[in-house]
Amino acid sequence: MKRPLLILFFLFNALAFASAQDFPFGAVTTEEMNMKNYAKDTSAHAVVLQEFGKSSINIGSDDNLKQFYEYHVKIKIFDAKAFNKGTVKIMLYSNDKNDAYEDVSNIKGVTYYKDDNGFTQKAELEDKKVYPVKENKYWASHKFAMPGLRDGCIIEYKYRVESFRWYKLRSWEFQDDIPKLYSEYEVHIPAFFNFNASIKGYLKLTKNTSSVESTCFEARGAKADCSLINYGMADIPAFKEDDYMTSPKNFLSAINFELVDWQSPYDGSKHKETKEWRDIDYSLKTEPNFGGQLKRKGLLKDKVAAIIAGKPDDLAKAKAIYQHWQKWFKWDGFWSIYSESISKAIDKHSGDIADINLSLATALSTAGLNTEVVLLSTRDNGALNTLYPVIGDFDYVVAKVNIGDQAYLLDATDPLLPFGVLPFKCLNDKGRVFSLDKPSYFMDMSLPQREKSSYILDVTLQDDGKLKGTLVNYSTGYEAYKRRVAIKKFNSIDEYVENLNGKLPKWKFTKSEVRNLDSLDMPVVEQYDVEIKVYDKLGETKKATFSPYYIHRMTTNPFKLNERSFPIDMGMASEDRYAITVHLPAGYMVDTPPQTMAISIPNNGGKYISSYEPGDNSFSFIYLTQFNKSVYGTEEFPSIKEFYNKIIQSQKTEMVLKKK
Amino acid sequence: MMRGFIIAGFLTVCWVSVNAQQNYDASLIPKELLPYASSVVRNEEVTIEVKDLDNMVYHVKKAITVLNKNGDQMANLYVDHDKSTSIKYIKGIIYNSFGITVKKISESDFDEANAWDGFSLFLDTKIKSYRPVVSEYPYTVVYEYEQRLKQTLYIPGWEPNPHFGVALEKSSYTFLCKPDFKIRLKEINMPGKVNISSNAQGLKSYYWQMSGIKAVKDEPLNPNDDDYLSSVKIAPEKFLYYGMAGSFTNYKELGKWEYDNLVAKRDELPYETIQYVKNLTASISDPKLKAKKIYEYMQSKTHYVSVQVGVGGWQPFLASDVDRQNYGDCKALVNYTRALLKAVNIESYYCEVEADADYKISFAHDFPCMQGNHIILCVPFKNDTTWADCTSQTLPFGYLGDFTDDRTVLAVTPEGGKLLHTPKYTVETNLRNRKADFSISDDGELSGTMSTIFKGVQYTDRDYFLKEPKMEQYKILPRVYQINNMDIDDFELNQDKSFDPATTEKLKLHARDFATLNDGKIYFSLNPINRKGYVPRQVRNRTTDVYFNEGYTDNDEITYTIPKGYRLEKMVLNEKLDKPFGNFTATMELKGDKLTYKRKFQLIGGTYNKAIYPDVVDFFQAVVDADEYNVVLVKSGN
Repeated sequence: MKRPLLILFFLFNALAFASAQDFPFGAVTTEEMNMKNYAKDTSAHAVVLQEFGKSSINIGSDDNLKQFYEYHVKIKIFDAKAFNKGTVKIMLYSNDKNDAYEDVSNIKGVTYYKDDNGFTQKAELEDKKVYPVKENKYWASHKFAMPGLRDGCIIEYKYRVESFRWYKLRSWEFQDDIPKLYSEYEVHIPAFFNFNASIKGYLKLTKNTSSVESTCFEARGAKADCSLINYGMADIPAFKEDDYMTSPKNFLSAINFELVDWQSPYDGSKHKETKEWRDIDYSLKTEPNFGGQLKRKGLLKDKVAAIIAGKPDDLAKAKAIYQHWQKWFKWDGFWSIYSESISKAIDKHSGDIADINLSLATALSTAGLNTEVVLLSTRDNGALNTLYPVIGDFDYVVAKVNIGDQAYLLDATDPLLPFGVLPFKCLNDKGRVFSLDKPSYFMDMSLPQREKSSYILDVTLQDDGKLKGTLVNYSTGYEAYKRRVAIKKFNSIDEYVENLNGKLPKWKFTKSEVRNLDSLDMPVVEQYDVEIKVYDKLGETKKATFSPYYIHRMTTNPFKLNERSFPIDMGMASEDRYAITVHLPAGYMVDTPPQTMAISIPNNGGKYISSYEPGDNSFSFIYLTQFNKSVYGTEEFPSIKEFYNKIIQSQKTEMVLKKK
Repeated sequence: MMRGFIIAGFLTVCWVSVNAQQNYDASLIPKELLPYASSVVRNEEVTIEVKDLDNMVYHVKKAITVLNKNGDQMANLYVDHDKSTSIKYIKGIIYNSFGITVKKISESDFDEANAWDGFSLFLDTKIKSYRPVVSEYPYTVVYEYEQRLKQTLYIPGWEPNPHFGVALEKSSYTFLCKPDFKIRLKEINMPGKVNISSNAQGLKSYYWQMSGIKAVKDEPLNPNDDDYLSSVKIAPEKFLYYGMAGSFTNYKELGKWEYDNLVAKRDELPYETIQYVKNLTASISDPKLKAKKIYEYMQSKTHYVSVQVGVGGWQPFLASDVDRQNYGDCKALVNYTRALLKAVNIESYYCEVEADADYKISFAHDFPCMQGNHIILCVPFKNDTTWADCTSQTLPFGYLGDFTDDRTVLAVTPEGGKLLHTPKYTVETNLRNRKADFSISDDGELSGTMSTIFKGVQYTDRDYFLKEPKMEQYKILPRVYQINNMDIDDFELNQDKSFDPATTEKLKLHARDFATLNDGKIYFSLNPINRKGYVPRQVRNRTTDVYFNEGYTDNDEITYTIPKGYRLEKMVLNEKLDKPFGNFTATMELKGDKLTYKRKFQLIGGTYNKAIYPDVVDFFQAVVDADEYNVVLVKSGN
């Protein structure tokens, strides 16, 4: 019985050894030196030859738990366009306020190049040319530029980071903006700790092995084996961004870790971090900086009572509280899903996202309204991992108030958002709805918002060749928000109109009125008396051409390429409608009416309609574009491109007016 | 004790104004200062005292009222410190609209970080910053800080109101020094003159103040700030800088000091490198071609990385360092190129310049001082002074472009400073000549060839993708043009890097649905290749002159072969504009099935009186209209 066991043990160790290996530093082959390009992607300016990372949890020199991260890479640089790969920045968490720092050490770098005589030479990175930088309150970095770069060189560097954040096992990005021949990440996790790993992106691992490393961890007498896991990927293509695409993070191949549970090596106490949503629900509820703040109704009782006094119904109460919060707070620019203290933030009139929106939720529930909070991941932060619960994926929190059958999502960090409208950055993927008394659940964050603009131009063609009349512009939904932001960039409406008219030299705004600028729940209405110069003089010729596309004529297709790799993200559903009515002078008539058209994007994706209606010595023309979805799949790309193409073609046609 | 003394001394000068301006109630801002203002400087007092050649005290007290969100950033404070500048103290108070204190800001409220300029790898400067977050407008922030400067070469000047959207109630600037500390000063667009006096401590005092200045509007095509905003500059005669003594009253002396202390003896190269460049150029006899060869060698070997450490960021890295590291900033790369040229006995100059692609900013002849933000190389061949920018890996030898052309620069030479003027690219040399031969098929498809030559400042128009592989260029080129559905069948992109550099682009292309067919008519854009999309905004009561930085000429000629049997339906395009600042012609002619379109656009760089501005707007609008001309063809006989 003894023998086979030993052998097994041996084999295991040998296996572990074979896989637990970084590539040797300081070795380049003639083949690598002579490489002229990367055959699988000749457009690459550089290619990663080898990349190896290693993370382990162990006891640091100060006897505390630490995460040790080692990084090592070798990159072939074909030409100067990729010299930026030789400028390296190692980010380190560094919070002066609580003395929490990460340290980097063992930075080593070398460049191999062929000298002017064709001999391979080495240039080594000098220690004194590594610059420590304080980036901001929370971050520092070490920066260096690799020496001796020239076309065809190979750079190699490595470093080691020691972090007190042992619980935040480093993620690994397999994919970058240059291709990689091979990239491998190795993690050593003592049996005391249990992490979930999730793989993002559409590429497949070519290596995924795990084994047990015996007694790799020892601390104050406690011993443990480690899981040793290797994730490898070969032939990784470069990631290239498209226009109109959602955060690249959603598509980049990467691996992320989340701590599930752990046992203290010191006292054996067990800690559960994440496992299922109900665990997260529980930890959020009991978390002083989350659930703890939502419970502070007593704090807000008097304040809320004053705000909702005399409000007839729940909706009016919710609106009053929301508007009060918008005015009370100024967002300090920081992001968080936890609030240290909503009372401190209220006293200061400023706070981060969580300070403002968690206190808003608390205020709403103080008023007796059915309130929840929604944790979400913003567009730049990428989509959520849906395999298992990961609290670290969320970077934003908003309030949700339910009135009757209707749910309203509220973010009080922006004073210009209407009630129930979220900022664009929040419209991403799914959100997780939490409350103090019910289990959490997912909701779709990309749905209901729309932006809509409508222009109505009613003008009379004068003998002097000018169109004279009125222009009314309604901006609804998110478009109203955008319009308010644009107007508020100016110190007054007058300055806004001055600027707007300034940009339309052929137009003269003789009178202007902007309505509902501060009534955030209403459409923004702009009304202008206008004079538009069309012809120098009318009446010299018998016929005159006329383009009815007076506002926003589309001339260039935003999509130029014939293929598409990623879904097309239009942000949100939208509608633009233009209606123009022209009264003709006596003696004139329409000779050729404008082309009319009705086209649509398949599967009710959207439509473009233009219609013409002759009147009594006048005519009306309407054109409208509608996109019903926020994201269109790659397979829909040809139809979207063609949709634009058809609109542009149609808007090239002109109508003809003639003297009777 | 010392600090108390300084403040007491400073108060004797400014006490009256401090006293008069304690009330920060926003309603006290004079109404005439409100138009176009999102913030108002209520009071600013800047005092500099030279206590010794290596000891200057810079004291600022500034009160600013923010009227709305757009003015928030003017209430942020950033103060730098480095080896030669320390912050003695820094603090502030935030007041609400009634002038009542809502928060005191202490030094620990400030964040600290390394300075970053957007492109450098490292800057040896740290910044203390504070960003107030106040939810109710208006609010007022008052800052007070003091820096100690351990040098006297750089004396901070005074720009009382350099930002758009800020009105100024009152600002003053006091410069104090011992009577024997000689200075030169320059007042730019100052309504009042300096007030020179002696204070109680026997110090000489120079005092300026301004009040009641309305907010400056951001007007399109405005000249450089210095041409219309007020400022005061002060330069020392004798100074200490990083422990190095010097004195100057003219550029020759300043340049001499700079050469001896910052540039000299930094040009040593390894023996092998010297031999290498000697061999490289051994077969070339013409010194200019020799220099070109060396410049190209430098370009192939090095690249630009900016690291600002050492003597205030003014000293180049050793040439031997660049030789080993293959990188450097503008100083290091010019110094290195100079060293390489010296190895083959070609003399060249290290030149300081104020680089700016939007404005041509010259070193002022009448006011020598440390200035400039970039270093370029000048090679003074006999009757053929040649210039080069050493930070580019692609520009031809002798090419500066609009970043440093046509301005006065300072050559720092062993004999002292010399003011030189860089070459000007003229309206005729900044050229884009394009010819296209297109045909339009019965079903509206466009096909044909197009060839373009770019010269002068337009030479670099294709640089951003010139080094991309051909496959990538096939994808990038259609984005350059406004032709929809454009497919490139074949193309060539070439650069001639001679002393008269030119970029040539030749395309063979086709584009379906270029023309729209409807009701027996054909519609298409006459000018699908070079449309002006920009009309400068109309401005009420313009206050600044009109400035065009760089003149240029575009010539486009397209010949379309159209389907047979069509005639033009509407009036032909025939636009001719001729203005002092530019001219434009666009004409078309149909002969048989050949439709010829000719367009010439010329902009003449320079500064023009503001009265001409409405003409500028009309001119660009007329160009835009002409460029949007839509051809309508109708079957002959209809």
